[in-house]
Amino acid sequence: MDPAPDISFYSSTSLDLTLDRRLTLFKDQKTGINLSIDPSQKGYNHEEVMAKNTTPVDIDEEHGFEFPPHHMILAWTREFVELKFQSRIAARVEGKSSLARLGIGIHLTAPTIHAGFAGQIRLEMVNHNKVPVRLRIGMKICQLIFEQTLGTPVRGYEGRFAGQTTTKKG
Amino acid sequence: MKVRVRHIGPATHPSEVVVSVDTTTGAEHLVVNQRSLKDNKLEIGYPINSLDSNLLVELPRETINGSWRVWVPQASVE
Repeated sequence: MDPAPDISFYSSTSLDLTLDRRLTLFKDQKTGINLSIDPSQKGYNHEEVMAKNTTPVDIDEEHGFEFPPHHMILAWTREFVELKFQSRIAARVEGKSSLARLGIGIHLTAPTIHAGFAGQIRLEMVNHNKVPVRLRIGMKICQLIFEQTLGTPVRGYEGRFAGQTTTKKG
Repeated sequence: MKVRVRHIGPATHPSEVVVSVDTTTGAEHLVVNQRSLKDNKLEIGYPINSLDSNLLVELPRETINGSWRVWVPQASVE
């Protein structure tokens, strides 16, 4: 974890992570233009679509960012998280009740952080509230719940049974 | 072990980049943290399976098309 979280960010079952300065905002669509995203289309390029339809914004250090009601943004944790694939650790990223009570969701049905992940965690944030909520750099934004896997993930296992599978070609 | 990738361009966060992996069914793009890349190679652990001269490997991130495990030519893994 980089930077290493303060000891006060741990609880008995979770670790709080904080908000990075970079956000990605979705552009408002112009009236009269009917745009849709087709992620199943051959040649679909997510980053290209995002570049055309979003705007990167850095949160103002003094004033923060006013998260408009009923909007979605992408955000990242400030912490770089690495779960070694040789380990037996995976994790789930979850919201914090203090923000949930304000209508802030921090992920959209994709909470799993797989063993082997390395990076800042991307958050798909939605403000379900009727009023704006101010986000600030470094605020506690989500929590990680660690999970121990029953065995070493296949690709992290180098023992004598490495590469063996239970399926056989007919 | 590592799989060779091609740098495609920047991703939405400055710490991330888009890379391409050549699989047996075509190129797959994925977003990875820049720290995960060394000499255009990506750590993948040990292959999951092999068939002919191809290896089934598990990528560190889900590809843009939603795949974790992809078949790649053995020559692209070292």
